[in-house]
Amino acid sequence: MPTTPDYKLKMEIKTMILDTLGITDVPIETIEDDKPLFGGGNALTLDSVDAIEIIMAIQRIYGIRITDQHIAREVVRSIDSIALFIADNRENKAI
Amino acid sequence: MVIPDFTHKMSAHCESGALTSLLNHAGLEISEPLVFGIASGVFFGYFHKAKAFPFPTFIVRNKPGQMRRNIEKRLGVEFAEYRFKDPALGMSRLDELISRNIPTACQVDFFYLDYVPSWERVHINVHFMIVIGKEEQQYIVSDAYFPKIMKLDERSLEKGRFAGGNMSPEGFLFHTRSVPEKIDLETAIRKGIKKACFNMLSIPMPFLGVKGIRMFARKVTEWPNFARDTEHLSHEIMKINILLEDQGTGGAGFRFMYATFLQQASSILRLPTLKDLSQELMLIGDGWREISLFAARIGKNRDLGAEKLGQLGAMIAGRADAEENFFRKLSKVVH
Repeated sequence: MPTTPDYKLKMEIKTMILDTLGITDVPIETIEDDKPLFGGGNALTLDSVDAIEIIMAIQRIYGIRITDQHIAREVVRSIDSIALFIADNRENKAI
Repeated sequence: MVIPDFTHKMSAHCESGALTSLLNHAGLEISEPLVFGIASGVFFGYFHKAKAFPFPTFIVRNKPGQMRRNIEKRLGVEFAEYRFKDPALGMSRLDELISRNIPTACQVDFFYLDYVPSWERVHINVHFMIVIGKEEQQYIVSDAYFPKIMKLDERSLEKGRFAGGNMSPEGFLFHTRSVPEKIDLETAIRKGIKKACFNMLSIPMPFLGVKGIRMFARKVTEWPNFARDTEHLSHEIMKINILLEDQGTGGAGFRFMYATFLQQASSILRLPTLKDLSQELMLIGDGWREISLFAARIGKNRDLGAEKLGQLGAMIAGRADAEENFFRKLSKVVH
């Protein structure tokens, strides 16, 4: 089982998404890091309302407010993109 | 042929973004939030019963075109503007302008922009983007909503510029004609803030400014009376989220962008209070984002009973109180 910071962050993000959206029927290990979270192709298939929930959860948990919706769209594309964004912006609280 | 040295930038909003890019190209280094703030872009209006709004709706910024006029007035910038009845004439004037290396902003119906994925295309007659060149039958376009320069078919641009309907573009074009050598940014910022405070607090109309937010809070519980059925109502309630978050607002109905403006204004005017107010407005914006999410959620779940709409109304009323308090404090800082 990998235990790198990157792996830990991605597991945290997956847990955050499942908890925030109240999803109980998708095993965490089936969510792929690089596959899109929207429009099919991953174990999770989310919609635009879910996207707002995730953006607000990122603000609540990591203290990063995403103010630009163009950036928001890119951030919530996949687990990889959310992890990269959080790792890059933990210090810079409003984007 | 592409206009040399034009720098494409993404922006939160199409009109303030196009204005900013044109000003930057003309040599005036200014940010989008500063343009938005100086132009008194932040606003609120609740509309119903007019012919144009058979179902209630609201706006969170001043009307299209007002930002440009305010920027002209407050920065002394001059824009050249053109409207056309004849599409052929409108297209040839555009070609002539770009052949003279003049980046030119066009008002278009968003639906006809063929570089936008089909599932994202909606009819919005007040989208602005900048044409910066032409290669054979394709225009080279700087559209603030896209990360890179796009290409647009000649016929699509013509359809977009001459689309019909409410607020039709009529081929509208504008470009920078002149920028003064010296700009009094401090005075422009103060005037922009004063006007925004006036608009939010003192326009004697019950549907504009903070009074408009209060009307929205009261009336949203009556929306079921105007809807054809539950599907229609859920669509309109979910549209609250789109209007606040997803139409180039910079998030939270332009409140985040105005907060960024105040932060930048704080440094320029050397007024630390504006930085505190900027942080306060960010928190107010978080509240608008909560409303977005709540509306999207109850709309999606078709959970639209009196209790939920009452809750939504109460949340909106909370924003009215917060914004009234906020704009009163802001008006005192720049009196």
